[in-house]
Amino acid sequence: MHWVALQPQPEAAAPPTPGLTDALGALGWWALQFTPRVARLEDALLLEVSASERLWGGRQPLLRHIYKANKPVALVKYAQGATSLIAFARLQAAALVRTAPDELPLAALAAARPHLAVLVRLGCTQWGQLRALPRAGVARRFGAPLLDALDQAYGLKPELYPWLVMPDVFEAALELTAQVETAPALLFGARRLLQQLQVWLQLRQSGVLALALMWTMDARRDTATEGQLVLRTAEPTGEMSHLERLLGEHLARVTLPAPVLYLRLRTLETQQLGGRSASLLPEDLRPGDSLHQLLERLSARLGPQQVLHWQAGADHRPERMQAWQPASDASQLIASKLINTRAIGQKGTKPLKDAKQQVLPKMAPPPALYPTWLLASPLKLAVQHKRPQYQGPLTLLSGPQRLEAGWWEAGDCALRDYFLARSDQSGLLWIYRERLDGPGRSSHPANAGAQWYLHGLFA
Amino acid sequence: MASRPLSIPIEDFGDAVWRANALGGAAEATVATGHPALDAQLPGGGWPVGAISEILQLQSGQHEWRLLLPALTRADLGPVTVLVGAPHAPFGPGLVAQGFDARRLLWVNVAVLAERLWAAEQALRCAEVAAVLAWLPQVRAPQLRRLQIAASMHHKLLFVMRPAQAQDESSPAVLRLLVVNSPSGVDTPTQALRLHILKRRGPPLAQALVLPESSTRLKVLLAVSGHADAGGYKQEGDDALGRLAAAA
Repeated sequence: MHWVALQPQPEAAAPPTPGLTDALGALGWWALQFTPRVARLEDALLLEVSASERLWGGRQPLLRHIYKANKPVALVKYAQGATSLIAFARLQAAALVRTAPDELPLAALAAARPHLAVLVRLGCTQWGQLRALPRAGVARRFGAPLLDALDQAYGLKPELYPWLVMPDVFEAALELTAQVETAPALLFGARRLLQQLQVWLQLRQSGVLALALMWTMDARRDTATEGQLVLRTAEPTGEMSHLERLLGEHLARVTLPAPVLYLRLRTLETQQLGGRSASLLPEDLRPGDSLHQLLERLSARLGPQQVLHWQAGADHRPERMQAWQPASDASQLIASKLINTRAIGQKGTKPLKDAKQQVLPKMAPPPALYPTWLLASPLKLAVQHKRPQYQGPLTLLSGPQRLEAGWWEAGDCALRDYFLARSDQSGLLWIYRERLDGPGRSSHPANAGAQWYLHGLFA
Repeated sequence: MASRPLSIPIEDFGDAVWRANALGGAAEATVATGHPALDAQLPGGGWPVGAISEILQLQSGQHEWRLLLPALTRADLGPVTVLVGAPHAPFGPGLVAQGFDARRLLWVNVAVLAERLWAAEQALRCAEVAAVLAWLPQVRAPQLRRLQIAASMHHKLLFVMRPAQAQDESSPAVLRLLVVNSPSGVDTPTQALRLHILKRRGPPLAQALVLPESSTRLKVLLAVSGHADAGGYKQEGDDALGRLAAAA
């Protein structure tokens, strides 16, 4: 067994980390990365490190990590010893760091403190002197707890502590050093909280899916005193750079009615992170952001309605054959399904075939006669000399392809004849003529009252 | 003691010296365009990866797919193609019919130039994106240069669509094409494309390239359907369908 005791120095802890509510708690979380055995004793932390020495390459490298690593609290005192109480006692004064257990002062033993005056009058000031006294007499005079503590200090009895465990929900608060008037400036405070969140996520080996940033505003203004921002991401993530960017995009849209005094960060949804196996092949290691990060960033700034992905629709009306839907919801679909099938399917032929089966219903006209652009709404064309006009007269090349669909929906009935037309200016066009309802009226192709529309372009 | 001759054969320099009368070797990888006539005229034999290819056209939305789809459908490209500010909605069934899986498309439908530039740059940074198609009508050279740097940093295909009026402006693009419809004869139902290569790493090309008509499949279908319907829909002064019918 080997114990390390840590104690944040109160006078020095304040300046570098303003508003950190619980320095010891933050230090405890930080210490959990070295060993799962972290306990609190009074105002110090005790780490039992013997079990994780091998992982860190021996005791000395591990201690070096603990001493040198970047800590949430700037100034920390260290001591080590064979038992937790020795380490804790050596922590009490800088001169005691290398003192033998027998020579440690009794004042450093918590269980001896109530009896300290009596013990001093007995001539006992050090652990060794107390230990030399007859056990039965000590037990009668001072009670069993003192002997138990002494046994524990010398490693004769097991040391049991309530070990520090991570809470299930991360919640951290931060008091801002100055009042913050604009929302984007909150990012600086939030970044500090995100760093804590990162530690928490690492220790729980999970990634965050949703989190809420809450702020408390100055109550003296006659407005709301609380505000919050909920951030969601499609893939659980443990790295904060993406969350930070997302948070920045969202905060840029927030206006604060009053200056902010406190920040709080809380996780709403987390998920265990599975281990990721890296590939040895260089072509699999593509540098750059992942797709869901791109989608979320674009959607955050431009609005989800502007970032669209394609979905096939089962309908014969061209405007319903496809739907362009916000891609932020479907990033999973694009990311996992499509890419995986592409990776598995040889040279991408498989998903293509799937798409064809999915897209083209049986009754569809020959597929190559579909245009590549579709107008958002059909453009009404002028007619001169019975010929539709679009940047000059149009020449009909093929058609008609008769479409009769949507009769089951009131007011959305499509009775159209589609033609392929050529314009000297704009190439091949996909136009249709509205077939007018009623028997006889539409029977003749050169119907005088026919209305022509432009619906697509062949680019 | 004889001094060494000063004239070193230029071949000794290998690729470090480019003769202006020859096509430059592509510094980076290229992706074949799928149009053999165009491939032959491009340094490296295809669209440059990690650089801007500028496509100038009189009217946006006319030729993009015909020109770019053969390259974009290649299987070894990354899975996602991003459209930034397309002039119309892409029609999935039409793209699928030409062999392009429309689910690979991501359409960023924004109108403001600054947002288009930002979205394009973000898209270039994404690992899964293979190509970015951006319609940037009023873009200026410094903004393009920024995109060019992003494309070269992340090795992406970047196509920038601009109006034909921009052909006299300077541009950091390594490849600039002006695409126009060739005057169509009545017997060619789908128009051929005329490509003027305004800028490439190589000698200027005086005459325009003519890309043959779009897909043969479209041609056949046109012929067949024209044959079937020519009787009923023939119009005054239009003998195209009649000729098609005769040909078919």
